[in-house]
Amino acid sequence: MLALLLGYLDCIPLLVISLLYLLSRVQVVVLLLLLGTTSQAAGPPPTRRYWVELRDKVGVEFEPAAYFHPAAQARRQRQHLPPADATDFPVSPSYLRAVQAHADTVLFVSRWFNAVACRATVAQAAVLATLPGVRQIVELPEVALLPARQLTEATFARAGDKTTISVADRQLARQQTRTLGADAFRRAGLDGRGLRIAIFDVGFNGADRHPAFRQLFAEKKVVASYDFVRQTTNVFHGGTHGLEVLSCLAGRLPDGTLLGMAPGAEYLLARTERMNREVYTEELDWLAAVEWADRNGADIINSSLGYTSRRYFPEDMNGRTSLVARAAELAVRKGILVVNAAGNDGDNDEWRTIGTPADGDSVLAVGGVNPDTGLHLDFSAYGPSASRRLKPNVAAFGTVLAASPGGYSRIDGTSFASPLVAGFAACAWQLQRTLPVMALFTEIEQSASLYPYYDYAHGYGIPQAAVVLRNSSGQRAPEQTPKVSFVPQDSALAVIIRPEADRPVVVQRLPLYADSANNKADSAPARVAPLGREDARPTQAEGQSPAATSTPAAPGFPPLPAAGYLYWHVADAKGVLRRYEVMEVSQRAILRIPRRTLRPGDVVRVFYQGTTHSYLVR
Amino acid sequence: MSLFKNLTAALVLMLALLVGLPTHAQRVLLHAEVANDTVYTSFGPNRAFFNHLYVGYLPVVGRAAAGAKLNYSNSAELMLGVRNKFRLNEPLSAGVDLRFVRQVYGLDQTSQKRLPTPALHYRESLVASQWQLEGFVRVNVGHRGNVIGRYLDLTGWGGWVMSTAHRYEDRPGTGAKRVKVVEHGLPYITRWPYGVGARLGSGRFAAVGRYRLSDTFTSTYRTSYPELPRWTVGVELGWL
Repeated sequence: MLALLLGYLDCIPLLVISLLYLLSRVQVVVLLLLLGTTSQAAGPPPTRRYWVELRDKVGVEFEPAAYFHPAAQARRQRQHLPPADATDFPVSPSYLRAVQAHADTVLFVSRWFNAVACRATVAQAAVLATLPGVRQIVELPEVALLPARQLTEATFARAGDKTTISVADRQLARQQTRTLGADAFRRAGLDGRGLRIAIFDVGFNGADRHPAFRQLFAEKKVVASYDFVRQTTNVFHGGTHGLEVLSCLAGRLPDGTLLGMAPGAEYLLARTERMNREVYTEELDWLAAVEWADRNGADIINSSLGYTSRRYFPEDMNGRTSLVARAAELAVRKGILVVNAAGNDGDNDEWRTIGTPADGDSVLAVGGVNPDTGLHLDFSAYGPSASRRLKPNVAAFGTVLAASPGGYSRIDGTSFASPLVAGFAACAWQLQRTLPVMALFTEIEQSASLYPYYDYAHGYGIPQAAVVLRNSSGQRAPEQTPKVSFVPQDSALAVIIRPEADRPVVVQRLPLYADSANNKADSAPARVAPLGREDARPTQAEGQSPAATSTPAAPGFPPLPAAGYLYWHVADAKGVLRRYEVMEVSQRAILRIPRRTLRPGDVVRVFYQGTTHSYLVR
Repeated sequence: MSLFKNLTAALVLMLALLVGLPTHAQRVLLHAEVANDTVYTSFGPNRAFFNHLYVGYLPVVGRAAAGAKLNYSNSAELMLGVRNKFRLNEPLSAGVDLRFVRQVYGLDQTSQKRLPTPALHYRESLVASQWQLEGFVRVNVGHRGNVIGRYLDLTGWGGWVMSTAHRYEDRPGTGAKRVKVVEHGLPYITRWPYGVGARLGSGRFAAVGRYRLSDTFTSTYRTSYPELPRWTVGVELGWL
């Protein structure tokens, strides 16, 4: 009875309006003034959405060859997976008929979860729960899944003329793929050819007419599309977020400059979000799309979406709680690499950490870095996951030049870092086509610029094509010489940059202490870098970003992270970080960590100039 | 005097030490304490504790007895309060409200009028300003994140009437155009009202119904004054 009563809570405005008949004019005015702000409570739906989990699939027959696209079958074969498993079997027809008979509308049938999403009244739901084939019934939320995008003021400022691309934007367009090593992949003939990438987004409005995708459509690279909101195959309407995301995989500038790394891949475009002035979608559409992508042979899914506070708490971000996270994990088990934006809540005090499905253990969560500094962007969501696993896993530019309606725009958001990495993954997988999905996942992490160092802002850093190419050819990584020394002291652990750690990028010797730079004794060769190596000093003039003044990196070295940065963290015995920092190097005595903040078993790791150093606290 | 000298010397020594200390300041570009990033707050709409302000407007409803007919357009409770909610588990919470309520009964001017006197005026009302404390039990439906969600509250409340007033306005044909009189400290209005109620809410909005169990008038006057309607029904708007 109580559930029934609460089920009709949306009728509050109606109840109040009926009351108005009993009240006089003045009261009506006051009540209407109060109700004037109650737009949220308007439009009571007669039914609710439910997730009906079924008991089993007994007696169900399934023919994988007839159901799966040949690309999906090939993917399973490549990864030594069975042609189908129990999750691929359809739900029991008799159970489905029973649910259909007692529900208002069936919205979606999930093979993977052996479940039916439906609309039903509260009373119908009560009956559904008693059906013999029903294991449990859960009410689904009516909340939004927001794309991880932030439009900057610059975006709007450019809205007037998007066809003219400034020198700075053109440079950004080149850098956003070049920092990942796009040139190396291109030289190796890798552009994602032979792979299928599914993109889940709000809509791809105008993508079929945009010059950035002229070649993509001319080559018929968009092999399938489906709008899970309107149940049609046309996805070129709704929002433009998908267009922007797609451009970070396969878009081109008018001069042919690639905005993403996988122009040779085939694409499956899924519209999974509703447009309602703002951008909306639901977990259910995401789940429907992931099953569709699997059936159609997707190798990689790029999802620039994330659930946060409306339905979940930060402590729910453990990869096991949300439906989309579980669906993403299942997709990985079927051999699909799921790349997801970390989220844009880094500067949101009420959330701050990653959303879901980026919280999935096997989901490659991508954070955003600043193209100017190579450092974490404030809005990029932090890790770890609630289960204390590393998130984000890797990072890419969080500010990009992307195709947008009418031209090209500079846009901020981890939404765009994610497709950059998805394109990288496509090239890496093209290179090693038989690699199992989690081996690829690990390889991408290991190729990143900070690896084996990590933190919860950058993950392992920006993936590097050169490392993937080197590893695939069986070459060994170049020998790294120690750059810093750990000096245990009575009350602190000191970290000092070795005098010989003087790279070509350093033009000035580092003083032991910055305040003693003019002190003759301190600048003696015995205490600072050797004379004669007068390369760029990794500092910058006041008011400029660090990268703006740093000397371009030597060939063969990634430009990011900047040579003048020192990354350090303190991890416990399980590898869970307690503290991490990035510092600008201005003196050799770079760090003193008080002993009282360290515990036995802790590991202090320092990343400096491409080398990670570890110190085990005893 | 020597104390002053000693203090000065100590101050000079401290300054000298501070100036002489080598500065190990480095420019930190990014700093994170993971414990701070992953601390799960206990305050929020669906956390262990939550409080917020709210306003409510509850018109008086129900039939008034003869002799105390009401002008319903001017009979309502206007309230401003703070709600404190403690989550017990996912569907169940409990809480306490503290609110200020301005209760007005507009008196209809009819020939049978007895309240508080049979005298007729152009406009007349009884006003009670009171502080109320209300306990409630909340039942929520559906799994949700850190949001209020949809709920049913069952409430019980009690109050203290801090001031009372009998206001009336006359418009005599001669002399002043309007004559307004306010009588404070009415001896016939009870000081300690109490009652029960229910609230159906969704997010910041709620429909509220309240029933006053206590009588309006003190025992001395109860026989001469007919009881006023006990029901108020209206809306609340939370400031989350």
